[in-house]
Amino acid sequence: MGLTGWVQERLPISGEQLRELTNEPVPNHLKRWWFALGGTPAYLFVVQVVTGILLALYYQPAPETAYESVAYITNQAAYGWLLRGLHRWGATFMVAAVILHQMRVYFTGAYRKPREINWMVGMTLLLSTLMLGFTGYCLVYEQLSYWGAAVGANIAGSVPVVGDFLKEILLGGDGYNPRTLPRFYVLHAAVLPTLLTLLVAIHIAIIRVQGVTELHFEDEHKDEPQHFNFFPDHLYSELMIGLLMMIVLTALACIAPATLGPKADPLTTPEVIKPEWFFYVAFRWLKLFSGTVAVVSTGFIVFTMFAWPFIDAWIRRKTRYQEASVWIGIFAVLTIIALTVWEAVVAH
Amino acid sequence: MTLQTKRTIIAVLAFIFLLSLLLVQRLEVARRYQEAGLAKHPVAVPAASKSCVDCHNQGTPGIVDHWKGSRHAEAGVGCADCHQAEVKDADAFNHYGKVIATVVTPKDCSRCHGEVTAEFEGSHHAAAGNILASLDNFLAETVEGARLPFNPHSPTPGKTVDAVNGSASAFSGCQQCHGSKVALLGSDGGRITVDDLQPDENGQPTNLDAVARIVKDDNGRPRFHPGTWPNTGIGRLNLDGSRGSCSACHSRHDFSPRRARQPENCGKCHLGPDHPQKEIYEESKHGVAYRDLRDQMNLDSKSWILGKDYTAAPTCATCHLSGNLRNGGRITHDPGRRISWTNRPPISLVMDTDINGHIVTATDPAERQGLITDTADAKRTRMKEVCSHCHTPDYVNAFYKQYDDLVILYNEKFAKPGKAIIGALRAEGLITPTEFDEEIEWSWFYLWHHEGRRARHGAAMMAPDYTHWHGMYEVAERFYMELIPLAREAVEKGRKNGQAAGAARAERVIDEILARPEHAWFEEGASEQMAAIRKSMQERYGQGEPKP
Repeated sequence: MGLTGWVQERLPISGEQLRELTNEPVPNHLKRWWFALGGTPAYLFVVQVVTGILLALYYQPAPETAYESVAYITNQAAYGWLLRGLHRWGATFMVAAVILHQMRVYFTGAYRKPREINWMVGMTLLLSTLMLGFTGYCLVYEQLSYWGAAVGANIAGSVPVVGDFLKEILLGGDGYNPRTLPRFYVLHAAVLPTLLTLLVAIHIAIIRVQGVTELHFEDEHKDEPQHFNFFPDHLYSELMIGLLMMIVLTALACIAPATLGPKADPLTTPEVIKPEWFFYVAFRWLKLFSGTVAVVSTGFIVFTMFAWPFIDAWIRRKTRYQEASVWIGIFAVLTIIALTVWEAVVAH
Repeated sequence: MTLQTKRTIIAVLAFIFLLSLLLVQRLEVARRYQEAGLAKHPVAVPAASKSCVDCHNQGTPGIVDHWKGSRHAEAGVGCADCHQAEVKDADAFNHYGKVIATVVTPKDCSRCHGEVTAEFEGSHHAAAGNILASLDNFLAETVEGARLPFNPHSPTPGKTVDAVNGSASAFSGCQQCHGSKVALLGSDGGRITVDDLQPDENGQPTNLDAVARIVKDDNGRPRFHPGTWPNTGIGRLNLDGSRGSCSACHSRHDFSPRRARQPENCGKCHLGPDHPQKEIYEESKHGVAYRDLRDQMNLDSKSWILGKDYTAAPTCATCHLSGNLRNGGRITHDPGRRISWTNRPPISLVMDTDINGHIVTATDPAERQGLITDTADAKRTRMKEVCSHCHTPDYVNAFYKQYDDLVILYNEKFAKPGKAIIGALRAEGLITPTEFDEEIEWSWFYLWHHEGRRARHGAAMMAPDYTHWHGMYEVAERFYMELIPLAREAVEKGRKNGQAAGAARAERVIDEILARPEHAWFEEGASEQMAAIRKSMQERYGQGEPKP
């Protein structure tokens, strides 16, 4: 019995079955690379996992050691600065890729029946990605990450009814304490990545069950095949995007490496507190309104985004505005961009 | 809506999003670089100072650029904030619609830095202007210069010289370190100083007659006496009654902490033949380490706490002023808080100080105890806190033993005897009451003011060459080869001039000093000791005669 026979006896999967599993035919529009952004966040997630594991070899999640261990990674560990840079820029790219992917799904109406559940899974993926960014930012234990965590916890605390409970769950106490950092670390390095992996699996499984939304452009020839093979044709596109990402990430990690600000000082509030850029929109929103109003309205917006497939269906069913979602989407995207840029350009 | 249109919408929005992301990332990276201290903060010129910056950018771009690189600029503190003045201030003038003053005094700085200013005002630095009525001042204004302007005695080709300014040495020399008494020109041709203006607690003049006499130029700007301003002497006597100049150490207009942390900053004044602290530091292991490890000194750091932000080497600021881990990072602006001997006077004094920061000279222990509010031991403990970041207690204590012994040796063997001899000669009328008109007074001055200080400072800061060859060796030579012969010469001269009794008393003082065991070798010889040395050299090196 050869090796193939030995393996087949224990894993009775034929080559045919493997091909069927991987050779999902995908619609022709995915040949356009900008429609291949769905795989990019997944690719970047892998980059984050790999660089994250390597960083975790040195990181020590305690107030006394966290900053020093990050400083060690940055200044002494071999290629530590590169890993930190890749991880930091990878986070930015991952959030940007998720947003771009979601924009594409939204404007093409790919969330509509029967794909409402997958949209909500996607929304959960977005929120998990943002939480990963938040908890990762807090781990550095520099002034801004410490005070960013404090502000984040206060925001959670201002949620009506359950605010105090949320804040305590997040910080492991009334305020920032020695148990907070390990809590962020467990969330960042174990809970959220596991959740994200499961959600990605569900997301892909649903896509496999329902198939990719088919988009037909006017310039397509009707007599040509409407589909092409996922493996290897589409995978090559994804790999090319992945390689390009790696080049850009590495270049950015070299040109603008991750820096290290002053160590967290609980007694000195920095003149300017800023979260990571993907929270600029929420931060600016919070500054525009009083605490509770801002938190409640943010909660309402997030709920609306979750429930959008159903709201959109209702609008289309009950009104004549069949493309209302496009105009609402344009308004929402421009508002998000404006609030983000506003927060970025002002000191306070 | 066609799919094509939606595709265009996605493309446009994605482009705007990516563009905004690019901008946001650029700003974010810049902000992080600033936060990490790798880049300067952007400067937003405060509205009140915008016109000043615009105009001075053309006229004096250097000071604008310096300011732009300062923490003040980062924090939005502009020209108008420091130079602001009240109309009633003696030196105030209207400058393009703003009432300002040229000289920024510690009183001005205290508007934001109150605690620091108060600490500085209690320091010996702030009292450096006291030299204006001291022996050194007599040296500059009379011996080196002249109390009054005098006529030139021959022409200077290419230059019209109407009168020689006898105070030039004091103005350009002493007062640039010690501080001038800032003066405005008076309409009667005299100077108007803080003494004339009699400022109140807000620094505003109460003597309006003096204010009325201030000469102003065509733009209404008060005219300063050119000998007294410009001046950044650390003990400057300002028109508003405050003492000192913060820019003596924190150079205007960038007020760079980096610069204040470096020994070169102190070296403007603490160098030269009479107090070569900077040269001593450079010779010491501390200075050698600093030169070598300067890149590891974290000089640009916002916080500069020994043991936390750097450990590579100490600078002047480290030991005398800056914060350290042991003292909770507390900076002092009174360097005297960590100094246990003052080596400035002819005889070194223990730095037990009273409530006003003055050294307690009383000899009665009970009286001393009543007067002392901060002991020399407490000051030494503060300095030891600094030392302890690199040295063990035994090491530090042994160092201080060596230092104390050297100071006491100098005091007892040369300073107190020298002072007693000069005092006896003067008391008996064998030398005139005027300083520096006789050779022995120069000799005595060299002995304590130059050589004696070099020896003591050398021991204080671990510079063996300054302690010995530039110090005690020259002190000894000056004492035995000049002071003693000149003193005996003055005695002989007095005896010849009919001052036999006084000469005998002065001679007894000299003889009594030279008869002491530590001086006995000089007149009695030390043949036994020399023989022992020769024998030892013969045994060790095979030659019995010292090198010529």
